[in-house]
Amino acid sequence: MTPVLASLRGLVRRFGSVTALAGANLEVFGGEVHGVLGENGAGKSTLLGVLGGVVRPEEGELEISGQPVELRGPRDAWRHGVGLVHQHFTLVPSLTVLENLSLGRDAGASGFALPQTRVRPAAERMMARTGLSVPLDELVEDLGVGDRQRVEILKALLREPPILVLDEPTAVLTPAEVDSLFDLLRELARQGRAVVLVAHKIEEVLAVADRVTVLRRGRTVLTSERGGVDPHRLVRAMVGEDAATQTAVGLGAATGGVVGEASGGLLAGEVVATLDGVRANRASGAAALVDVSLQIRRGEVVGVAGVEGNGQRELALLLTGRLSPPAGVATVPDGVGFIPQDRTVEGIVGEFDLVENMALALHDDPDAGRGMWLDWPWIRQEAEAVRSRFGVVAPDVGARAEGLSGGNQQRLVVGRELRRARDLLVAENPTRGLDVAATAFVHAEIGRITSVEGGPGVVLLSTDLDEVLALSTRLLVMTGGRLLEVPEGSRTREGIGRLMLGGLQPDV
Amino acid sequence: MYEHGGRTAWVVGAAALAATAVVAAVLLWVGGYDPARAAAAMWSGAFGTRGAFVSVTLVRSVPFLLTGLAVAVAFRAGVWNIGAEGQLYAGAIAAVWVGIEGAALPAWVLLPAVLIAAGLAGALWALIPALMKLRLGVGEVITTILMNFVGINFAAYLVHGPLQEPRGVFPQTEQIADAARLPALVPGSRLHVGFAVAVAMAVVLAAVLRWTRWGFRVRAVGASPRAAWAAGRIDAGAVVLATFLASGALAGLAGGVEIAGLTYALYEGLSPGWGYTAIAVALLAALNPVAVVGTAILFGALEAGAGAMQREAGIPAVWVVAVEALVILAVLATDQLMRTRVRGAQTPGDDEGNVSPEPARA
Repeated sequence: MTPVLASLRGLVRRFGSVTALAGANLEVFGGEVHGVLGENGAGKSTLLGVLGGVVRPEEGELEISGQPVELRGPRDAWRHGVGLVHQHFTLVPSLTVLENLSLGRDAGASGFALPQTRVRPAAERMMARTGLSVPLDELVEDLGVGDRQRVEILKALLREPPILVLDEPTAVLTPAEVDSLFDLLRELARQGRAVVLVAHKIEEVLAVADRVTVLRRGRTVLTSERGGVDPHRLVRAMVGEDAATQTAVGLGAATGGVVGEASGGLLAGEVVATLDGVRANRASGAAALVDVSLQIRRGEVVGVAGVEGNGQRELALLLTGRLSPPAGVATVPDGVGFIPQDRTVEGIVGEFDLVENMALALHDDPDAGRGMWLDWPWIRQEAEAVRSRFGVVAPDVGARAEGLSGGNQQRLVVGRELRRARDLLVAENPTRGLDVAATAFVHAEIGRITSVEGGPGVVLLSTDLDEVLALSTRLLVMTGGRLLEVPEGSRTREGIGRLMLGGLQPDV
Repeated sequence: MYEHGGRTAWVVGAAALAATAVVAAVLLWVGGYDPARAAAAMWSGAFGTRGAFVSVTLVRSVPFLLTGLAVAVAFRAGVWNIGAEGQLYAGAIAAVWVGIEGAALPAWVLLPAVLIAAGLAGALWALIPALMKLRLGVGEVITTILMNFVGINFAAYLVHGPLQEPRGVFPQTEQIADAARLPALVPGSRLHVGFAVAVAMAVVLAAVLRWTRWGFRVRAVGASPRAAWAAGRIDAGAVVLATFLASGALAGLAGGVEIAGLTYALYEGLSPGWGYTAIAVALLAALNPVAVVGTAILFGALEAGAGAMQREAGIPAVWVVAVEALVILAVLATDQLMRTRVRGAQTPGDDEGNVSPEPARA
């Protein structure tokens, strides 16, 4: 019988008002490659962080090799034999690859020899064995992301940890490199080690994993042998089906999953925003949007589903006039409301009170004062109106926004931006991290404004499939910087899920 | 960083001053001096007589007040202008030049011209680091400090060379025209109208920050550049530029007022470091312009008391420099303590539960 190398049970971890883990379990055997799947925000990275000693859970138990342990940091995890390859890079750019590989290693018996002299042959052996080839004497800052990723993996492998944990290692590797990495992982498993692998792509995980665990909203919803699951079952587990239906509240609950069909086109009015052949680049120069064309009309809810980082952010910034496209034409209206994804950083100023946060939207409004002066009593009234109308729980409008709960901060942002959204509302994951009641509230408000004659158009960018399915009158998937219209027949979780997760054509 | 905010700011300020007093007393005692005598001497030197208060303490507070406002407005926008010292010298140079060259002009033209020139010169001095920050992404902390050395040494060069007084004996300029001099505010004292100008600036600045659209944008950019951009659609670059220039102008005005109100000439070492002490003045006031009036007078009193301390208690005046530094440390430490206690330890990770990468092990 193979031994259980690591066992994590009932993990709970919150970050502020966001629950990242809500009772997640993971059991890893020696000799297996264990795949962990889940949507963005499902808690995969946090779960791996617990195993790697970088996240401390609030509740739950962690056993390694049958012993209950408490990991106080990454060093602790290393001591217990857990090697974590991060999603983020942890290399020192100004050092060479070899120096990076040598960091934290002993100088050897003499205590004087630099570790590089011992690490070089070990690194060369490991490169030969794994096919992961990196230039040992180049500076890390001169390497591309693919090479850096390989260095990260090599760094972990060199310590030959009994438990190797890799957080999305394949994202920047070429297909051939992915193949040789997977061969290596299987080889490590044959030696009796445990390999835990997080990936977005179901096909990849199925290609290498012996067992699979699926996380959804911070919970483990499925653990199975590879033979016991097919891609459809995994997609359903990831995006939720049974449980999802119960939590799709607000407008979605009232109309089921076919809202688009019901109201689409009925109220859709004049065009309020147009993108025509628009491109956008990331700071790195890589293309974020590739030839995107889109029209948004009053009264419609355009849902954009997709795995995060496929261009949604750039699309939102273009539509809200916060980014001008280097190519193509973006015609956007003045009355745009914007519900940014990260409301504590972008939606509100924590040290401002509710009135001042209201003024963020009104400071350049001609109604908000005369000439250079601001009419604070008037802005206060507007803040009062938002507070009472949207049920923001705060002692008074003079309270600092950072003292509000996440849900109430979101109500404040939603209320303010709805007031602003005369023509268009752009919402990025507007319910992420919210509880059921607050989610229902946001959904109901989006439904309400679009059902009013002359109401704005709405663009809903969300990684939550339940949400886009429930609210959208038109459904698009964003992948690799392109927008794909979802055909009528594919308006199911599986169809969209496959489209957004693997970029595959819908097959249902 | 440190920001405005009602009662907390008062608590921080009072606690910082108390801590400074205790530490300074201990240091004096360790140094073999009598802290009580030192305090008594300082008090009498700063507040002991009406003359001491008006002609010394308040006069000394003027440059602290104007440079303190310069630092406060910059910090409110998140612009770390450490260059008030250099901007002050730029203002002083411009003021002296206009005050000498414009001797033919009547006072109602010349005096405003002197002060405006000083403000413009300070703004121009600040424009260089501002553009380097906005166009090239060079951190203003370093550039403003370096510009200080340029300004200080440029002034030194001028008073030894092109602007040296006609006889060429003393390293200073000739005196500015009578029409360029600020009249006395309190007859028979050394306190000049510059004090009133500085207090007026504090009130104007407070009103601008509180009640104008521009002031709101400054506060928003300072409090959260991301939210100012995403939620407020505020052009942070424009706000930073305008604030940087306003800050430089206030510091330049400090130099101009010192020339027109007190020294009437520029000489080497005009400022003993007012532009640096201004940081303590502004932080102790929690970056609140009206409170800067109070903290500037306090620092004026420290300077005034230093002389008396040396005369009456035999304690070197340089101790006051240590006390000023202690105030900065105490304000920063107290502020941090208050924050930690109020908000509790911050958890790592963002909304998605992504954790920051472990630091590289070395």
